[in-house]
Amino acid sequence: MTERFSDLMRRMARENKTAVASGAVILLMLLAAAFGPMMTPYGENDMDLMNRLAPPSAAHLLGTDEGGRDVLTRLLYGARISLLIGVAPALLSLAVGAALGMIAGYRGGFADTLIMRMADVTLAFPSMLLAMVLMYALGGGILNVFLTLTLVNWASVARVVRSRTLQLRDSEFVEAARISGVSGGRIVRRHILPNCLPTLLALFTLNIPATILTESGLSFLGLGVQPPFASWGLMINAGQQYLMTAPWLCFAPGLAIMMIVLAFNFLGNGLLDVLDPRRKKR
Amino acid sequence: MRKILALILALGMLSCMAAAEDVEPGTLRIAVLYDISTMDVARTTDNYMVPMNVFDRLLETRPEGDASKVVGSLATDYTVSGDGLTYSFTLREGVVFSNGSPLTASDVQFSFERLLKLHDQNTDIPLEVVGGREVMEGAAEHLAGFTVADDTHFSVTLTAANAGFPAELTAPAMSIVDAETMSDGFGRIPAETVGTGPYIVTEWVANDHYTLVFNEKYWGPAPDVRKVIVLVEPTAATQSYKFKSGELDLIDLQNLDSAVIAAEYKTMPEGRVVSRPRVGINFMMMNEKNEFLGDVRVRKAISMAIDVDQIITGIYSGDALRENGIIPNGVWAHNDRLEAPAYDPEGAKALLREAGYGEGQVAFELAEDASATDSIKLVNLFVSQQLRAVGIDARIQSYDHAAWLAKRGAGEMDAFIARWGMDYNDPANIMYTFFGSVENTVGRSLNYPDTAVIDRVAAARAIVDDAAREAEYQALEKKLIQEDAVWVPMFAELHLYAIGDRVASFTPQWAGFTDFFAADVALK
Amino acid sequence: MKQLILRRLGQALIVLAGVALMIFVMLRIVPGNPIETMMGEHADRATVARMTAEMGLDRPLPEQFIQYLGNILRGDFGTSYALGRPVTELMAGAFGNTLILALFAALFSWGLGLLAGIVSAVWKNRAPDRIFMGFSLLGISLPVFLAAMALQYLFAFQLKWFPVSGTGSWKSFVLPAVALGWNSAGQVAQITRTSLAETLGEDFIETARAKGRGTAGVVLIHALRCAMLPVMTVMIIQFSSLLSGAVITETVFSMNGLGRLMVQAISGRDLPLLQATALFATAVAVLGSLAADILCALLDPRIRREA
Repeated sequence: MTERFSDLMRRMARENKTAVASGAVILLMLLAAAFGPMMTPYGENDMDLMNRLAPPSAAHLLGTDEGGRDVLTRLLYGARISLLIGVAPALLSLAVGAALGMIAGYRGGFADTLIMRMADVTLAFPSMLLAMVLMYALGGGILNVFLTLTLVNWASVARVVRSRTLQLRDSEFVEAARISGVSGGRIVRRHILPNCLPTLLALFTLNIPATILTESGLSFLGLGVQPPFASWGLMINAGQQYLMTAPWLCFAPGLAIMMIVLAFNFLGNGLLDVLDPRRKKR
Repeated sequence: MRKILALILALGMLSCMAAAEDVEPGTLRIAVLYDISTMDVARTTDNYMVPMNVFDRLLETRPEGDASKVVGSLATDYTVSGDGLTYSFTLREGVVFSNGSPLTASDVQFSFERLLKLHDQNTDIPLEVVGGREVMEGAAEHLAGFTVADDTHFSVTLTAANAGFPAELTAPAMSIVDAETMSDGFGRIPAETVGTGPYIVTEWVANDHYTLVFNEKYWGPAPDVRKVIVLVEPTAATQSYKFKSGELDLIDLQNLDSAVIAAEYKTMPEGRVVSRPRVGINFMMMNEKNEFLGDVRVRKAISMAIDVDQIITGIYSGDALRENGIIPNGVWAHNDRLEAPAYDPEGAKALLREAGYGEGQVAFELAEDASATDSIKLVNLFVSQQLRAVGIDARIQSYDHAAWLAKRGAGEMDAFIARWGMDYNDPANIMYTFFGSVENTVGRSLNYPDTAVIDRVAAARAIVDDAAREAEYQALEKKLIQEDAVWVPMFAELHLYAIGDRVASFTPQWAGFTDFFAADVALK
Repeated sequence: MKQLILRRLGQALIVLAGVALMIFVMLRIVPGNPIETMMGEHADRATVARMTAEMGLDRPLPEQFIQYLGNILRGDFGTSYALGRPVTELMAGAFGNTLILALFAALFSWGLGLLAGIVSAVWKNRAPDRIFMGFSLLGISLPVFLAAMALQYLFAFQLKWFPVSGTGSWKSFVLPAVALGWNSAGQVAQITRTSLAETLGEDFIETARAKGRGTAGVVLIHALRCAMLPVMTVMIIQFSSLLSGAVITETVFSMNGLGRLMVQAISGRDLPLLQATALFATAVAVLGSLAADILCALLDPRIRREA
């Protein structure tokens, strides 16, 4: 990796307009999630039984749900959960996966075997199935969804980081550092980690949409975030029977999920293109 | 090439369009959210569709207008001794099981004893018979209180008088099975699950569907419905689609939102939506072991803070009956002069102040069963919001069904919205279950402390005179609800069904059960 | 070659053993008594205790594990708490449906994905490419449950072309397969496009073109054969994600399949059923990727030589 990180970003901004637009969409959603709930006059769970399933109007821009709650407000609160659950476990699994991957790659031997066999077993599970079994064991709730999604995702990160570490370990500058007596931990911190960062960033952006999709799927099945918290998957599940009577209940969160996932995918692909010019070759 | 492809596509579309398959005449197609786990009432307390349709009981409770009454079924007649302890029955002549084996008095005895010997579910009723405990514990082979005179005559002696005994015999649990051909596969294998009822089970594909077909040897009048296909369809929305596209003939609407029912079902022609009040009650249970809920003033404040009428109009679109006590509408001894606690949030606040509690000081958990209906979950949210308005912090905590049962059974649940459906039409079925013993009040997470009242509830079962028994139950109910505010009585849902174009009429089970008698459906 | 297959088989067996251990560990840290769920509202405590003992849930964990392993090897997965049937019987009925669904979905996604990928690669950076790649990204970003709900609402409920749900006839499988395959089709399309575009740029294709063969012939015969390897790997890895997606598709379309059985097992706290379905589905995924490995080795001379 000869190019500096900031240069990479600049190159991406120049070459890939879609990725830039996606970044803007993500930023907008982040802002909406952070400040939106403060701006709506309604609470996440303010019910109005006399005003259930009201169609969109000036008072309720996206209508109300089966409890007479404002859909826009719940969408904004749901954005917090989706983004948080998208970003936090992706970050956590990145940290865990990267650490284990570097250990396995640099140390080799028994640690490598142990970590990689654990990764093999984790990766052997179809991801949704593993998430479901874990949710069964841990029970529903936001914290447990965090944990589950972290446990589901660490292995793929570890694998990629390990192979990158293996490449770097045999490179000349690491060899040089080793000969001059630099300790293993220091080599990993100083030489290997920085060189893994761009790869990690791309993995991170691509893991986020996958995590958001898994969360929404789990919540849709009733195994993830539990009511009364608003999660987009949960909102769609609850809206299922109102597809005829109150279609906005499914449309709004459905569109939101697609937009955020699409945006992260574009951004992630843009990053990969920049990192690996051969991949794009336009 | 392109032409061939287009042709194939067009043909495919055509064959799909002709999707509406012809339905065999006399067939009724219905859907349930969950598959049954057994066809044997000795092993279940809720999979009643097969027991109700494949077996008969000695007596049956039948709807009569909005009320109900006990009528003869396999027993044509019975008499009670003066002390109320011994019942003598006469069996219907000429009844045979679907495999040709004749029904005799010893089959009835066998059915009673089988429940006890299996010692699994539904042992309460046969336990009332003299010698019941000995049979259950394996100390005796036969019930000492069961005397067979001849093939069609027998008598049953109870350990204590119970005026509700005939009603109890109509519970699905008291289905009569055949002693001679009983086998291991009973309740599990369709061909070995033999009864005297109007239908036999021909197939049961686990988790998918099961089929009931008319029993040619049935002793009663032949029903319109000759075949019932029960599909397992776990999503309410999908059931609704299926009904509307003609793939179902009858749909249970209890899992759909009342607003959807109003917009999509009540707009159908007159008579397509059928209803029956659920004989039972939804109420908010409060645990007196909780430091705040142990104070009667807090409990009274809670009952004043909840606007039940708004729940009925808002969440149920008016399709629920207001309940003001313990013994629900439709049960004899129900008191319709009992007054509801008035909705009065200001009064509730005053009462809390009087009890010495400030804003937010009273705090407890409102437990929610994750498997409850969507409507009940809305009720929970609404109750929590209304309590917050008077300064009570009732936090909703969702438990999966197992954890919910365990917590409640240990007597450790603070508060929750409960529902009790009546198994048979007798006030004891609710009074005794909740207040008949200390264990019962603990097991329901009530922890009701007044043992004098508990003793009276237990004793009321043995009052032989109906009027005296009714008076005692109503006096107890008044004491429990109005003086002690043990729970917040709320409502009984109206159980709604919709019938499709092939169905002429439908009469739900008397208590508005989810399961029903297929013979009560008339086809066009 | 034989050696390679044996080695992969050995690895797969180790992974399977790990999977079995992991499922056991995960499922024993659960609080609450599963028996109470099975018996419902009116269960009495003595019965609950007796049944717990009968099912061995009160014994020490190592003992339970040995018993569990023995049972797996004998193919005895116990009886479902909630459905009261032997788990193997339930799975036998469900697995067939899931297999048909996955095959339909795979055919759909491979077909559509390959087609879209080839078109995109040939007309790279032109209108067809843009359109197809737009769709494929949409496919990747569309949650399976949304696709399933939309298809069900439109084509079954409104247009009545297909049954709303169930597994009654082959027609019942069409919509779920499309919903399920949509997602993978996007991925197959992307990898086909990348791989094929790369191959098309290589020298020997230029040579073939120079020899005077038509564009179509070049693309299909030469380039595709070379570009297929990564595509096939992705297609077979997709099989595992199809199993993930089947959980949701089967739930939306109420199909009696392995995925729905798992969802049921979880909401019913049905331990034996969950244990068996999770193990079985994962075993299928592991064997699937084993098959992929071996297939790739057979097709790719480089790997074959390595062995």
